Formats: sequence, C-alpha cells, structure tokens
Amino acid sequence: MALIEKLQRRIIDLGLLPRIVRFLPKLSILCGILGLCWLTLLLPLEGQYRHTYISENALMPSQAYSYFRETEWNILRGYRTQIKALEQKSSKERNEIVASWFQEFGAKTAFYEDELHGNTMYGVLHAPRGDGTEAMVLAAPWHNGDGEYNIGGTALATALSRFFSRWPVWSKNIIVVFSDDPEASLRSWVHAYHTSLDLTGGSIESAVVLDYPGSNDFFKYVEIYYAGLNGELPNLDLVNVAVHITEHEGMRVSLNGVSEEEMNERDYFAKMKTMMVGVKKMALSGVQSCYGNEAFSGWRIQAIVLRARGNDGPFDITTFGRIPEATFRSVNNLLEKFHQSFFFYLLLAPRYFVSIASYLPAAVAFSISFILAALNCVLKSGSSNAPVLSVQSLSAIIYFTIALLLSFALSILFSHWQYSSLLVFCNAAIACAPLIFGRKGTEASHSHQFKAVAFLYLSVVLTSLLVINFALAFGIGVLAFPLILVKAPTNSRQLVKNTILLLLSNPFISTLLFVNAFEPQLSGFILLPRLVQAWQKLGCWTWSVICIGWLPSWLLVACSSIPVLYQPTGGFGQRLGPSTKKTQ
Amino acid sequence: MNLRELQVVLVCLASRFGAAAVFPLLQQQLDKSVEFSTPVTSFRSLQEGVFLLRNDFPLYSGGVMHHAPLLVALMSSFNSNTLISLLFTCADSAIAYQLIAMAKCFQNLHLPAWVPGALYVINPLVLLSSVSRSSVVFSNLAISTALLSALQGKAVLSAASIAVAAYLSLYPLLLLVPILTLLPKDRFKTVAITFTTLAGLLLSSYKINDENWNYLFSTYGVIITFSKIIPNLGLWWYFFVELFEMFIPFFKAVFNLFVVSCIIPFSLRFHKQPFYAFILCLCWITLTKSYPTLGEGGFLLSFVPFFRPLFGYFRYSVISTLLFIHVSVLSPVFYHLWVDLGSGNSNFFYAISLVYALGLATVLVDLVWAMLRIEYDKGKPNLNLKLTPI
Repeated sequence: MALIEKLQRRIIDLGLLPRIVRFLPKLSILCGILGLCWLTLLLPLEGQYRHTYISENALMPSQAYSYFRETEWNILRGYRTQIKALEQKSSKERNEIVASWFQEFGAKTAFYEDELHGNTMYGVLHAPRGDGTEAMVLAAPWHNGDGEYNIGGTALATALSRFFSRWPVWSKNIIVVFSDDPEASLRSWVHAYHTSLDLTGGSIESAVVLDYPGSNDFFKYVEIYYAGLNGELPNLDLVNVAVHITEHEGMRVSLNGVSEEEMNERDYFAKMKTMMVGVKKMALSGVQSCYGNEAFSGWRIQAIVLRARGNDGPFDITTFGRIPEATFRSVNNLLEKFHQSFFFYLLLAPRYFVSIASYLPAAVAFSISFILAALNCVLKSGSSNAPVLSVQSLSAIIYFTIALLLSFALSILFSHWQYSSLLVFCNAAIACAPLIFGRKGTEASHSHQFKAVAFLYLSVVLTSLLVINFALAFGIGVLAFPLILVKAPTNSRQLVKNTILLLLSNPFISTLLFVNAFEPQLSGFILLPRLVQAWQKLGCWTWSVICIGWLPSWLLVACSSIPVLYQPTGGFGQRLGPSTKKTQ
Repeated sequence: MNLRELQVVLVCLASRFGAAAVFPLLQQQLDKSVEFSTPVTSFRSLQEGVFLLRNDFPLYSGGVMHHAPLLVALMSSFNSNTLISLLFTCADSAIAYQLIAMAKCFQNLHLPAWVPGALYVINPLVLLSSVSRSSVVFSNLAISTALLSALQGKAVLSAASIAVAAYLSLYPLLLLVPILTLLPKDRFKTVAITFTTLAGLLLSSYKINDENWNYLFSTYGVIITFSKIIPNLGLWWYFFVELFEMFIPFFKAVFNLFVVSCIIPFSLRFHKQPFYAFILCLCWITLTKSYPTLGEGGFLLSFVPFFRPLFGYFRYSVISTLLFIHVSVLSPVFYHLWVDLGSGNSNFFYAISLVYALGLATVLVDLVWAMLRIEYDKGKPNLNLKLTPI
C-alpha cells in the first residue's frame, strides 16, 4: 500500500494524472502496438533469447552408445516388406498380424475397439528393472497426419520393440501403439488408457510418435512437432533431448514444418519466422492436420512427433530409429518427473528459446490495452464514482448477458448445423448495420458503458488465457484489437471506418482472413467446421473460446455503434433480429 | 416488508434453488473447487459425517471430519436432497432479508432499503457458495443475525447468535468485541450470555459425541493449528508447505496473533461508529483467517453498500473491482495448471491467493481512509477538499 501511495503522490506531483486520462485512448493503442512489436521484432534480437540446455541432469542424451544399427537393418526391412503388403487390409487385420509378431518376442498385446475411430493395437513391454508404475509410449499410426500410409514408422516401431525387448536396461514400461490415424483414434486410445483399458503399464511419462511414410530407405532431414492442444507444450527437456540426439546423429532438425530451404538460415528473420510459425501452430493446433502429439495433451504426458522428410538423402532408416532409441534411454534415466518451470517457452530455432518471462509481456500488453480502453470508456461515460450501482451500467451488463447467452447458443447450434457462409454473412450484416442505422453526432454515455463492459470482458478473457494458452491469447489480442479504434461516428467517413473496423475484428471474419493469408492448409471457409471438429473429436477449446470469449464483446461493441438498439424507442426486437437469424 | 423487498427475497430463494435444481452437477463441481470449499466447510465432509453418524461410527477419530457435531446432527435429520437444498437456500435468503432489515436501521443511507439485499442476491460469489452447500452459509447467517439484533438492541439474541457463529467456525467469537461497542448498555449481559450459550453448545456436543472431547481438536484445533494443509485462498498454507519443521510452531503463533491483533484496535478507534467497526473486524478476519473461501469474501462485500455516504472518498474502487474479477477468473485457471496439467506449480496458485488478499486489503484500507476523512470533515462529505494529492 505504501508503495502505491508513494507512486500515486509522485504521479500527482508531476501532474501526470489528467494527462494520462487524456491520453488514455492513445495509450491503449500504444500498448497494443508494443505488444505486437515485443513478440515479433524484439524477441528475435540477439540477447533476448537463450541457448537451450538440458535442465534435468539425469537425462544425459546421447551419452550411451546407440545400438540400433546394421544388425537390425534386415529385420527392419523384413517388417517393412510385410507391412507394405498389408496396405489394402483393414486396420483390424493389420493389427492382428502385428500383434502376432509382438507375441513372438514376448510382449503382451491388447486391442482397443472404438466404434467411431477404428481398431487400435498396443503392446506392453514390461520393465525388467522397474516397478512398472511408469511407462513410455512409442506410437506409430497406420496413416500419418497427411493421410499417407506410414510404412516406415510402423515397421520401425515393430523393429524397435523387438530390439528393446532383448535389452535389460529398461526401468519404465514401454508401450507401443498402432492406431488408425494420429488424431481422433490415437486420442480415444489415450483416453481409454486412462479410463477403461485392462492392460496398462502405469502412468505415461513421455510419448514419441514416429512418422515415416513410404518405403524409401533414405531420407534427408527430421521434422519435430511439439505443440499440444489447448496451448499445452511438452517439457522443453524432451524437445531438447530429441533435438540434441538428432543433431548428434548428424541429421538436421526443422521445427513445426519449416521448409528445407529456410531451415539452414540462421539470421534474424529466420528466427522470427520460426517463432511465429510456432505461435501459429500453437494457436491452430488441433485445427490444422495433427501429427500425433496432440493426442496426448491433458494427461501430463510429454509428447513429440518425429517425422522423416525427403525421399533421398544421406541418412538411412536405422539412423532415424536411433532417435527414439536414444530418447527412450534418456527418459528411462529419469528418477523424478520432468523439471518444473520448463513448460512455457517459444522456440526460435532448434537450439534457441525464450522463456515465459520474456514472451508473456506481449500478450499482457494486449490485456492492458483493453483494460485501458475500458477505463477510458468508464471515465468518459461520467459515472466513475459508483460503477456498480448506476442504471446505465446495469443495462449494459444485462445486454452483455444477453450477448453472452446468444454466443453460447450460437456455438452449440453451429456445431450441429455448419453453414459457414451464412454465419459469416450474418456477422458481416451486423457489422454493416451502423452504416444504415447509425446516427451521426455525439456519443451517448450508453454506448460508452457498452464498450466498457465489452473491453473489460475481453481483457479478462485474455488474462485468463495468458498462461494457459499464450498463442490464443496473443492471436485474439491482435485480431480483436481494431475494436478499440471504433469511435463515435461524427461524420459519414467515421461510419464507414467503424464498419471496416468491425468487419476486421469480427471473430469469424478475422480468423478466416488470417488463415487464408497465412495458412495454405485451411483456405476458404474450412476453418470453421475444422474448429468444431477439433472441439468434438479432440476436445480443443479454441471454438468455445472464440464464441464465448470474443463474440459477446464484438456484439456489444457493434451494438454500441447502433444507437437505435438501446435507446428507449423500441429497439429490443431489432436487437434480437439479426442475432437469432445468424444462429441458423 | 414491502413488495420490492419480498421480490428480492423471492428472487434469492428462486435463484439458489433453481441453480441447484437446473444444474445438479454444479454442486459437486463447486464443492471440489478450492475457492468455495475447504476441509472445515465443505459439504462433502459434512455428508461423510452424516454417514458416520447414522452408522454409529465415531465421528472424529478418523481425522477427516472438521464440522461441529451439532451441525452434523442437524444435517443427519434431513433425508432428501431437495430438503437439504431448501435448507441452504432458506439460510441464504434469510441473510438477504436481514441485510434489508439492517438497511432500515439507518436513516441516512441514501439508498432504498432493498438495494443491499438485492446486491447480495446477484453477487455471484455468494450465489456459487450457496449452491456449493458450503457450511459457510450457516456461520454467515449467525453473524448477520448477531449484527441485526445488535442494531435493533436485542442483546440476548445477538449474544446467542455470536455464540452460534463461534461454535460453527471459531473466529466469529472475536466479533463479540465490536458487538459490545454496538450494545454499550448491556455489555456484561452480552458477554455472559455469549459464553453461557457457547458453553451450552459445547457441552451438548460433548454429550452427542459419546461423551468425548476429541471433537474440540478436530473442529477448532484444526483451525488454530492449520494442521490440515490443503491449498486454499488464505495467506498461510503455503508457509507450512515451504517452512522448515522447527519454525512452524512460531509461525502458527504469529498467524493466530495476527488474526486477533486488529480486532480491539478497530473496535476502540471506531467505537462511535460501531456498525462500521464490526464490518472492519469482519473484513480483517476474512483476510487473515486460516481457511477462507470466496463465500465469505462475497458476504463481506455485501456490506460495502451500507457505506454509501463514504463512496466519494474511495480511492481504489476500480483497482479492487478489477482485482476481484481477475481473482475469480484466474484462481481456477492457475489451480488447473498446477494440479491437472502439471505445467504450473504451487507458486501460481499462491500468487493468486495473494492477489485476493490484496483485493480485500484495498477494500479495508479504502474503508478506513474514507471513515477517517469523513470524521475530519465533521460528518459532512467535502469531496473538494484534498488532504493528500488525490
């Protein structure tokens, strides 16, 4: 308190307060711009990021010699030829054949049958040295995220299991999973593992998903994916271990699908690009095609995907197999859980990262920017003394509740009837309403109250997302930012400007524009159904957050620029009109 | 009781009962959340107590029961879920009604009497706390009964209610001190009745509990010794997780002294505004007690509208509002990060409970400052006079 008091006095002495209040709108805009620049421009600068390091000493990556070499070469090729012949069979038949191979070298196998997502086979190699309470997962989906038949990955998983089964070093159980695809079917298996399966091997500590489509012997480089659902990231130690081992074996690493030409660049822009691709991947994880690590989110499992890329190159498939081998040996060394406070990071390059304290301000700035905008509206509406008790703010809160309920209803309705273009059209219609109904002149204190509530709510949503899903908080902050600029229409130019700003900050229109500009995978209107799918199949919250966290604020700001709606002359019916229409 | 007041009470009944009926799973969810339930107030453990009682098991030898024996006995006489829900709803509505009655005791409130009650009804913290069936509702009811009857000059009822509140959750016994300033004529009588009632309650608990005193430690000892280390919104649990064993007794003593420390000073300094002193003491206890919940915070905030004449002097109202909003959103998020996802740690949640404490502290400081200012202005608010720069 004393500190606040002192700060307050100093501010008054300098006469800052009235000035701050006057500059509040500019300050909030400045905050937003600062936030954007902080992440994109400042962090890739030399000195802002750090070299990655292994925090848990027990991991010791690549300290032991890797034995998955020429001796396994023919076995691996044998399995590969067999699996290649199984391509036309159903996953159940394939699983039964693979299970028989597993039983040959003494692994316990079981099947998990899911009506929606197909048959999944998994085998458990019991740890010769442990108490069997912890496990590591090796997953090889039959088809990878791009729908290709994962011949190399599944053959490698079989050969590696056979190889692991002969080794006495394991202190954690090894579970090998063959699911139909790396998305819903793998996730439903993980869910079943934690709820209903009979054959289990203890709590899963880490998971490595192998992705090696095609039957080629050689490949060029390795891609690593790590961004989980709902903003979860695996412990940085696991990613570091994988990167370290891969580079130790002489292969090059690309993160999050950065292309081959770009991964050799080491300059400022390459770092910026890698980081922004990572942020985008985090924000859109579950919505873009999943490669498998997403399936393990939410159960305290550290999961990564290893992908072999390129048909020709200097490295053969056993080299690729040495990455999971050495990773498993590292994780096997763990005596405790993965280290704390290594869960929040952004990678700028395989060997460079920024930790939470460095990147969080970027999203905090947007949250502050919305709070300042709300404060500005409260002060302008002239009822700052008793904000709870005034009738106007009460009506704003009631309208906000209506908007919230409508948004909630929309999020449910749209997941049943997915008419993307109708949804976008109705939102555009609401955004254009100020052009028709808007009146020029001074802004009513009502509209300020509306905006105050809207901005405050948005700010609270962003703050709550900050730590849990940084990328989403940042993304919503950036895309919803134009809302702050919506002003009282003093002339018809401002009316047009307001409409454009509303269009740009609409939750659906702006996200569609964004993915169409930056994500070739999700062109057209495909994003909206994919968001719903990610919610239904994988349990990814992004759809709900956009609908319940962002849309109510947008609706309220849109209302604030249409005085007809909330002023006494019977606007309620009109207010409901466009919103109910768009829920079709 | 006019129509508007009746409406407020009815809305209170309908909202509590309706929320419990429409969302039957909400009760369990809230009962599991650390913000609304602690080992000493949760409905889960109350139910367990009822089960033990009905099957003739000793209540307190298992170390999981921390509710008062008479409360468990009372709950065991209710069989159906609806009846229990109705009991909690009625208790909450009684508080809303009492707030309205309190507002009528003040002449210069500048507010319709139903407003404090209505604000209590729409306060989401209180609503959720009531839906979670936390036993906080009963001690809140006892406290508000004591306050109301003290305002109306009924010393006997007030003293008895304080005794009941103290019996349920110990700390309200401290509120006897400000009650004495409210009832300057019957001080001796009040103290005597309080302690007689309390002794009666304790003795009958002794009888009910198979003539065993072990309930004393399980109910009050746990509160004083902080021995149930479970994350909560309070300030102290974190110390017992982190401290070395040998320092723990010292800090237990310090934290208990801390709770007691400000009660007498507040009551002495503001003995001319006894109602206000009572609220300050309540705020202090809510801030420093060992197992606080958001339900108690919400109950405390319901008294802020009574200080309407002081609103002009409040300096941190925006800050405290923002703090409370952010706490109620962020504390479940950080708890989820710590306990469910494992990517955060206990510091995350403790940081939020510090923010909650800061929110309560800003309310306390604001109230004290505002009252001192209005004393300086001789009872007539003079907002234009600036004593400090702001």
